[in-house]
Amino acid sequence: MASILFYILGFVMLAAILLCVTCRNPVYAVIYLVKALFALALLFYLLGAPLVAAWQVIVYVGAIMVLFLFIIMILELAPRERPEDLNRRRWVPGLLVASAILGCTLLIIFQDPDAAAQGSAYFLGPRDFGAALFGRYALAVEVVSFQLLFAAVGAYYLGRYRPRRRGGEDLP
Amino acid sequence: MIVPLAHVLALAAAVFVLGLACAVMRRQLIMILIGVEIMLNAAALVMVGASAYWQQADGQVMVVLLMAVTASEVAVALAMVFYLRHRQGTIEADRFDRMQG
Amino acid sequence: MSETLLFLIPLLPLSCALANLLFGMRLPRLFAETLAVSGVAGATLLTLLFWDYAAGEGTRAVLATWLASGDVNVAFALHFDKLAAPMTLMVTGVATLIHLYAVGYMRQEQDYARFFTLLNLFVFAMLAIVLADNLLVLFLGWEGVGLCSYALIGFWYRDKNNARAGTKAFLVTRVGDVFLGIALLWLFALTGTLSISEINAQAAALAPGTVLALTLLLLLGACGKSAQLPLMTWLADAMAGPTPVSALIHAATMVTAGVYLLCRLFPLVSLSAAGMTAIAAVGALTALYAATCAMAQREIKRVLAYSTMSQVGYMFMAVGAGTVSGAMFHLFTHAFFKALLFMAAGCLIHLAGEENDIFRMGGLARRGPPELFWVFLAGAVCLAGMPLTGGFFSKDAVLLALFSHADPVYRVFWLVGVLTALLTAFYTFRLTYLVFAGEPRGAGHPHPVTWLMRWPLWPLALIGLAGGILNLPALVGGSERLQHWLGSLAGRQPSVSHQLEWQLIALAALLVLAGWAAAHWRYRAYRPPLDNRTARFLLQGWRTDQLVDLVVVRPFDAMARLIYIGADRALIDGTLKGLSHFTATCGGMVRRLTTGRLSTYLSAFAWGFLLILGWVLLALVARGGGH
Repeated sequence: MASILFYILGFVMLAAILLCVTCRNPVYAVIYLVKALFALALLFYLLGAPLVAAWQVIVYVGAIMVLFLFIIMILELAPRERPEDLNRRRWVPGLLVASAILGCTLLIIFQDPDAAAQGSAYFLGPRDFGAALFGRYALAVEVVSFQLLFAAVGAYYLGRYRPRRRGGEDLP
Repeated sequence: MIVPLAHVLALAAAVFVLGLACAVMRRQLIMILIGVEIMLNAAALVMVGASAYWQQADGQVMVVLLMAVTASEVAVALAMVFYLRHRQGTIEADRFDRMQG
Repeated sequence: MSETLLFLIPLLPLSCALANLLFGMRLPRLFAETLAVSGVAGATLLTLLFWDYAAGEGTRAVLATWLASGDVNVAFALHFDKLAAPMTLMVTGVATLIHLYAVGYMRQEQDYARFFTLLNLFVFAMLAIVLADNLLVLFLGWEGVGLCSYALIGFWYRDKNNARAGTKAFLVTRVGDVFLGIALLWLFALTGTLSISEINAQAAALAPGTVLALTLLLLLGACGKSAQLPLMTWLADAMAGPTPVSALIHAATMVTAGVYLLCRLFPLVSLSAAGMTAIAAVGALTALYAATCAMAQREIKRVLAYSTMSQVGYMFMAVGAGTVSGAMFHLFTHAFFKALLFMAAGCLIHLAGEENDIFRMGGLARRGPPELFWVFLAGAVCLAGMPLTGGFFSKDAVLLALFSHADPVYRVFWLVGVLTALLTAFYTFRLTYLVFAGEPRGAGHPHPVTWLMRWPLWPLALIGLAGGILNLPALVGGSERLQHWLGSLAGRQPSVSHQLEWQLIALAALLVLAGWAAAHWRYRAYRPPLDNRTARFLLQGWRTDQLVDLVVVRPFDAMARLIYIGADRALIDGTLKGLSHFTATCGGMVRRLTTGRLSTYLSAFAWGFLLILGWVLLALVARGGGH
């Protein structure tokens, strides 16, 4: 059961990524990527990593992808769409992928809540995970936290307000 | 292990190739970044698969660290996109050729 | 210890020069001038005071060690002997009078501190030559006088011609200096010492060929400083300097440094008969050459410059004939009357309203103070060699030495000397007639001639006229004082019968009178200058400048150009440019890889990734296809 779900989700994810890679509109691309990442999160769950799956949804889908969307919208990178462009045929792949993922999710939740636990001998609970993360890898966590701080400072520096010069060039 | 490791790896490889193709073939900075994200996720999939295969927590820890690194990378990269757009008025990757030798 | 006080003689002018150099412009003008004059006058008095030190072998004084390295030990050492003492007295005495004259002459000059500094420095350097105990100190002075000469010729450096004349003098004398330097180093290599007396003592042990070569090198060195052929072109141009400079440096002292050098090293030089002949030949050629040039010159100072060259040629002939006393005798009388002539010429130029051209002077006998005419005449008769004047006796001594020499070639030199004497008388009286006789021809407004410019002329005129007393030949009841004083340093003495000597004297007197007569006939009434080819040829000094230009300057230029174009630009620049071009081309080819575009880098990254993957695949296959 779990392995069938794995193949279905794998196929769905590949399809979503293919759609993401090929579509011209970056907003669509991001949305397809979000779907693919949902599928990936389910795969993580199936592979015995529930905590990682949860973070995949929270961090990746909830934060990083939203950041992408923000930037795309701020910079107006998506081409303008006229109402007649929104025909049904363009809805089809998105809907198919989304419903497949949704179906799998529901299946995992209701039909086979312990699929991962039964299907695989390995299931890493939060306690063990936390012990590993803050035990052996404490130093790595610290380093990564520093990196996040530096990235925040760098992003702030790059994105801070700059008055335009008279000649049109920005101040550095 | 619900599926053989080889299948997980094959899936990850397919995802990685798609991401690489996206990064190489698309010209928009945003799409290149999305390609990079896809590749990173392929790597994450490999790690989780390995973690399940060997029944060790290390792979999953690596994925968490990878997420943090990715978050910072995305933050800086998107700030850079914003900055470049502000400065040059475009995010076509090929227009930025000032570093030409 | 008191020998060390001898150092006061050169150091007094040096200290005054330094004082003027450092504070000259801040001191009151009178004070600076007094300082300059008193430095030289003090040196004169000291020379007289220390005169007794010259007795016997002379006195050596060592101030300090200059160089000490292994076998080399050179000291700041003086040798005050019978040759150096009268020379010192002459240099300081004449310099004192010229300094006084210069105070008057440079009255209008704003930059007086520089002038008197250089003048004092020159006296110091000249005294270093004269008093040097070793060749290095002599060389120090030798270069010092060259430097001062250069700086003083170009004293009014704002005029490009003056600056170029100074540069020319410096460069031409430098050619001679190089030879002197070679001789100096060679002597050191041969004898292991630089002391003049030791070199002279060891000279007899040297191989004859070496001595000849050394003599020729020394001769060339002396030629540079003394404006002898072939290094004589600079002296006529050196008249661009102020007149006191011409009088002091280019007539009385510096140009005789070459003669003095040869006299100093006479024991060495006299060992080579061929070398002596060469010295005499150079002197004879220069004497004749300069006399012919002087006949056609138009500028009063150039006439005197060429006459200086000619008279120094006589001195060289005397050295070549082996009589140091004759050379020194002529050197002394010449220094007096030539300094006198130059200073008087300076006054005359002032009187004529800064007019240099003798064809535009005229009638100055009546225009200025009459004493000027008489002192100039005194100098002129000395130069011409009028009987009973100092110049007559000294020139006669030279001619006698030439005539009485055993080698028949010296008869030729004697003939040249006699002919030159005739020419000298002619051009001297030509100059006198053109300047003083007739009506004023120039339009210049006369400038006043101050008493300070006039009275230093009198002592010189008296000494010049009575210079014969210095070394009056026994024939006319003289005591040959200089010859006896010099003693063993005096060199060969001619011994001829009294009858022959009388005949020679009569001939010389006759020549002077003939020259006078010719000048009287030609120039008593003013006639404009000839302008034929010969006159122009002589006016330009036998076109030696063009010759030098053709033989030295142009080939040098051509060679420099060749080296510039061939070696520098084609070879070195070409190689470097080729290398840089090659590097740039290679870099350009590599540069195409770095387009600056992200996509290129990304695809390169992808290709590299593929490559690694392929390699891993191959490795797996090689291991047996995995599991």
